[in-house]
Amino acid sequence: MRLATVWYFLAEGWHSARRNVSLISLGSIAACLFVLGAFALVLMNLNHISQSLHARIEIRAFLEDDLSPEGVAAVKAQVQATNGVSSVAFVSKEEGLKRLRSQLGERAGLVDILGENPLPDALDVKVTDPGSTAEVAARISRIPGVLGVNYGQGFTEKLVATAHLVGLAGAALAIVFVAAVVFIVGNTVRLTLIARGREIEVMKLVGATDWFIRWPFLVEGMVVGLVGAAISGFFLFISYSMCVRQLTRLAPFIPVITTPEPVAALCVALLVMGVLMGVVAGGVFVKKHLRV
Amino acid sequence: MLIRLYNVSKVYPNGAVGLLDVDICIKQGEFVFLVGPSGAGKTTLMNLLTRQILPTQGQVIVDGRNVVRMKPSEVPYLRRTVRMIFQDYKLLPNKTVHDNVAFALRVTEGHPRQIRARVAEALELVGLSDKAWARPGELSGGEQQRVSIARAIVGDPTVLLADEPTGNLDLDTSWDIMELLLRINRRGTTVIMATHNRAIVNGMLRRVIELDSGKIVRDDEKGAYGREAGYGMVLPG
Repeated sequence: MRLATVWYFLAEGWHSARRNVSLISLGSIAACLFVLGAFALVLMNLNHISQSLHARIEIRAFLEDDLSPEGVAAVKAQVQATNGVSSVAFVSKEEGLKRLRSQLGERAGLVDILGENPLPDALDVKVTDPGSTAEVAARISRIPGVLGVNYGQGFTEKLVATAHLVGLAGAALAIVFVAAVVFIVGNTVRLTLIARGREIEVMKLVGATDWFIRWPFLVEGMVVGLVGAAISGFFLFISYSMCVRQLTRLAPFIPVITTPEPVAALCVALLVMGVLMGVVAGGVFVKKHLRV
Repeated sequence: MLIRLYNVSKVYPNGAVGLLDVDICIKQGEFVFLVGPSGAGKTTLMNLLTRQILPTQGQVIVDGRNVVRMKPSEVPYLRRTVRMIFQDYKLLPNKTVHDNVAFALRVTEGHPRQIRARVAEALELVGLSDKAWARPGELSGGEQQRVSIARAIVGDPTVLLADEPTGNLDLDTSWDIMELLLRINRRGTTVIMATHNRAIVNGMLRRVIELDSGKIVRDDEKGAYGREAGYGMVLPG
């Protein structure tokens, strides 16, 4: 294909898009893609949280208050000898409080309301296989001198299940929204087809191939999809940055995605999706309405 | 033989008969008039030659290619060698004269420099070089038909089909158009023209195929519009 021909297709597609696309169509496309993008972001964050929790999975074994240092050493030795344990670290009640303060961030003042330190001494236990955490925790809880164990029972499982649900809901919504975008872009292309009926008739009579007639419509679909996606990407990026800023201030212990790269990648994916949906819509509607 | 129709019939879905068992041979370089009343089958014949429609029976051969058995992807290439002009010109009102003519070459993906040169040549042939940047709405009917002819011949077609090209024009302008079609015919292009213009057919004394109700009722080598002959040539052949 000649460069001049490619340029002709691009120019025709661009001019048609400018002539026929309305703000309402662009707004609707942008809104659909925005909601899709928002769902993807929620999903990405749930996965991120679940991954970082998995990476941090450890058993915390709280020790009875009246244990002597020797008693603590004995319990530690027994825990270390338990099947499935990879390492054990002693966390004094003072160290535990320090960690709690740093987790609470700006709200560390809450700890002071408690008055005295309510935390017992503890052992941080890392397991060799995160899958066997529950069994190892049960074994450790039976060791004399151990007050109780905590390994975020059920929380990560619930998180994974929530992510799964959000993913399913997102997929269902994605189908609806993708169909909506394809329909809106397709309708824009259909308007062009009607407006340029005579031109198409002449093109056919002077020997234009099917693809020569179709290309400008595909370009038009591409332009409409791209512009809609760019608008949604812009608003998604801005609103996510604002949400993250608020969330890290109010709930700093939730490990949400704070780096811009994954969000930017999602915006690029939206652009690609917009272009693809535009091309598909252009292609489908031209094929349906144009007997070339 | 450039064009050959073998036992061609065309019956439309509503039962109307377009053509009925028609056999035609047309040689390269001929100038042929198609005459007959409205609904006789003239436009049907032209639409078959450009494969805008398919016959219900028979075969249509153009320049060695069987139009009926042609794959849809080959049709555009047929239409580059068999071009049409129309009574209503079918020009694009939002494009200039130059762009209307260039349009026919652009679809063939020609080189821009070559397109410019050939458009200039075609416009010179039809005498509209000075109107290249005008829009069709600014031209007279005769001038618009010249633009349409320029668009048809710019790609050097083998066959030029003219469907009532003088139907909307006064007699003087019609003769100008006929003179132009004759010049194009002299360059080797086969011209097939459907017309109701008795004066033109009788004045040119060319081959006349008369159709009535889809059948060929007359095929005269140097015929007249009706059965009355002998008007003599007004324009040199």
